[in-house]
Amino acid sequence: MPVDSELLEILACPNCKTPVRLVKNGAALKCDQCHRVYPIKDDIPVMLIDEATIEPE
Amino acid sequence: MAISLRRHDHFPHNSRADALSVATVGNAFVDRVYAYLSPVYDIAFGPLLQPGRVKAIERLAIEPGDRVLEVGAGTGINAPLYPPHCEVTAVDLSSDMLERARDRIGAAGLTHIRLLEADAAHLTFVDESFDRVYAPYTVSVVPDPVAVVREMCRVCRRGGRIVILNHFRSTNRLLARMEQAISPATVHIGFKADLDRQMLLEQTGLRPLSVEKVNVPPIWSLITCIKE
Repeated sequence: MPVDSELLEILACPNCKTPVRLVKNGAALKCDQCHRVYPIKDDIPVMLIDEATIEPE
Repeated sequence: MAISLRRHDHFPHNSRADALSVATVGNAFVDRVYAYLSPVYDIAFGPLLQPGRVKAIERLAIEPGDRVLEVGAGTGINAPLYPPHCEVTAVDLSSDMLERARDRIGAAGLTHIRLLEADAAHLTFVDESFDRVYAPYTVSVVPDPVAVVREMCRVCRRGGRIVILNHFRSTNRLLARMEQAISPATVHIGFKADLDRQMLLEQTGLRPLSVEKVNVPPIWSLITCIKE
């Protein structure tokens, strides 16, 4: 399990430092402040500002 | 073996980092270097740097249930050294290195270590998330060591331990000059040879509990700090 509840508790957007939530059936993590979506590739969350997509909805 | 230099990422403007080392690098450059280093890293830097890794785990003084952050997990070479009674979160910028780390952790059946792709200068955790924060041979690799150490402090709880294992510029003037001379070349094999330890500590406000020399020859430093 790439993102367990303990990790989710401490995980933050690298840009805003605010908590992120799982989206896309657990395939990505989203920051509701800057709307960045961070992909989870091969079970490894890619928490890089430059590789995130911005999805306002 | 030299890789292409793209001026914009090899020489970013960063006066703070410039003061710490004559060599400057950018994230894209570091990522490319470690992509080609990943197959040979353990052979080149495995046994040579291992005594320092073992000592660093001792200095981390990990207690049962501790949340540990490793900044710069690389090929996962430290993974087997962690006691099973802690939860390790290990981050690295290089997906090629992380792929090797994942294979190693899987092969060893280690279930207490999780991996994340992240930039050490923009750690992806809320404040005070960890009891122990450890950078093994990482701070001389990154573009902005001060930013990285400040982030390490931010995510460490008060009273937690911060351990930095690294090579720094020698206090011997002749050796220091040599290290400065070779540093623009050593970035191509993954590190700056002339990082200024004192300046890094001063700029980050870290006051070490101990600084020990490790490895053979003992030219690497193991810095142990308590977050105040």
